[in-house]
Amino acid sequence: MISKMWQRMVALAVAVATVPLLAAGASAQPGDSTYRAPRTPDGNPDLNGIWQAIGSAHWDIEDHAARMGAAVELGAIGAIPAGLGVVEGGEIPYHPEALATRNDNLDNWLELDPAVKCYMPGIPRATYMPFPFQIVQTPSAIMFGYEYTSSTRAVRMDRPGTEADLASWMGYGLGRWEGETLVVDVTSQMPDTWFDSSGNFHSEELVVEERYTPIGPNALFYEVTIEDPQVFTRPWKMSMPLYRRLEEDARLLEFKCIPFAEEAMFGEWYNRR
Amino acid sequence: MTDRTKKLVATVGIVVLTVLVAIPAIAGQDQKTSWGDPDLRGRWDFRSSTPFQRPERFKDKEFLTAEEVAEYESERAQTREDRIAGVNRDEYTESQNDVDGGYNAFFIDSGVKMSGTMRTSLIVDPPDGQLPAFTDSGIQRARARYATWGQAPATPADRPTAVRCITGFNSGPPITPGAYNNMMEVFQTEDYVAIYTEMVNDHRIIPLDNSEHLPEDMRLWKGDSRGRWDGDTLVVVTKNFNEHTAHQMTSKDMVLTEKFSRTEGGLLYEYTVDDPSSHVAPWSTALEMVATEDLVYEYACHEGNLAMMLMLRGARLQEEAGGGQGTDAQEDQWLASWYRDAAAAVREDK
Repeated sequence: MISKMWQRMVALAVAVATVPLLAAGASAQPGDSTYRAPRTPDGNPDLNGIWQAIGSAHWDIEDHAARMGAAVELGAIGAIPAGLGVVEGGEIPYHPEALATRNDNLDNWLELDPAVKCYMPGIPRATYMPFPFQIVQTPSAIMFGYEYTSSTRAVRMDRPGTEADLASWMGYGLGRWEGETLVVDVTSQMPDTWFDSSGNFHSEELVVEERYTPIGPNALFYEVTIEDPQVFTRPWKMSMPLYRRLEEDARLLEFKCIPFAEEAMFGEWYNRR
Repeated sequence: MTDRTKKLVATVGIVVLTVLVAIPAIAGQDQKTSWGDPDLRGRWDFRSSTPFQRPERFKDKEFLTAEEVAEYESERAQTREDRIAGVNRDEYTESQNDVDGGYNAFFIDSGVKMSGTMRTSLIVDPPDGQLPAFTDSGIQRARARYATWGQAPATPADRPTAVRCITGFNSGPPITPGAYNNMMEVFQTEDYVAIYTEMVNDHRIIPLDNSEHLPEDMRLWKGDSRGRWDGDTLVVVTKNFNEHTAHQMTSKDMVLTEKFSRTEGGLLYEYTVDDPSSHVAPWSTALEMVATEDLVYEYACHEGNLAMMLMLRGARLQEEAGGGQGTDAQEDQWLASWYRDAAAAVREDK
């Protein structure tokens, strides 16, 4: 009992500590943070842990009021919650024809959203899916294990300047340390992933820069710059805090979602006798 | 043999034994993390041509000599070459194997090298290298599964989990060499060992904190793993599998114990399967993985799984034509060639 109460107090303390960040929204500057993270045995900032974004960016990275969900049967619990956008400046700089594609995606999102099919979400969407992910850090490579569909990537710290041999859903991640910040350049992602469930998309030219900066013992600030000249008129940025899962028994569990997607994907060829 | 010769042989024997014992100790000095645990980090290749069970030709033989290993490997290489060149193509053209094993040589990457253990089988216990007999419930489970897999699938749930891309056929747990994607990468901190497997791009994050396993009602596709160091060996116990776990027809009650130990240039991987509802005795295997600089690539299995749609469409077309599910004439038509011998061995009329 005491331990549960203590956990809640810690959670509350974290929530209070992060209120200024949330209030400042996307304009928060982690550069202002003077926090120095504990070190791993090799001397780098220690980002090991189970982390999770809070919010509704996975539904829509732009400002959005609450809206009706797709399944009538789910009623209110299937509705999409409101959220302030995580896009810096508020607007995604689409080329006009790309904006038309985005709107078309939004109109047909149930049919087109790769997450409905349980496909690997790609970067950055994997970071803010409503599931935890775990960082397991070594000097030469850092593993990101995501609960959502058990997707996995290894960010290579020892292969600067190299290129991927082939495209992948979770991309080719090359990392480096800039002071307290882990910077990851992600290239060679498949063009099939989206940024959210609202049709925001990219092409195979996508280049992502991720920045993970510890801002306290239990929070990272996540900034991501998106570059894709085929779809956007200029690079643009998203940011949000990531919170450490503080439960004493916190574990990355399995969300193997293929069995949940199969009927939606293949149901028309089922034999239902 | 003279007394002098005997003494000499004994002395040489002791020296050899001492060297053998000393090598892992020397190697071990460079194989520690900065915090003092054995260092398992890196990328490991677990391709192996060592048979899972000991074949008849190696009956009563536990280990091979270097020459015998070379001979076996060259046979394997020849078989592979013949397949590429289409030698004896008539023997498998239009066979089940030609349908489900029809990958080209680029795709098949099971390797020709035997495990560095130089054993005649991966199974080391029972000592005869054979899987222990099924229990009655093990046989029932095996029959039911082969029967399901032998019929036209009504839904994806009628196919093995690897065909649905939920779990890999070689990534475990336990890890078993297979036709391709025999690669894994180990990440390690003081608190966790994480295994990233190429097959279905999956991971297993193993806590080393002496914590309890999850409650029994929490069942996972890959089970729930806990690790601890026993000297220089990482011992990982995994349980809480779900009812779909099918490694050698085991049940959800399988308790898997894996051991990872560094060898010179390799990683000795041993596991023991204990599932009294499947086999009459526990059984164990051993395999030496090889360190590699190759990268682990992303195997996006589900994302590229057109085969599931094609199988279901094919099954419906077959039914429309009067065949398929529930018709005697089509029994086992959908059973993959690599299950056929095992399925025949547990058939009711056997």
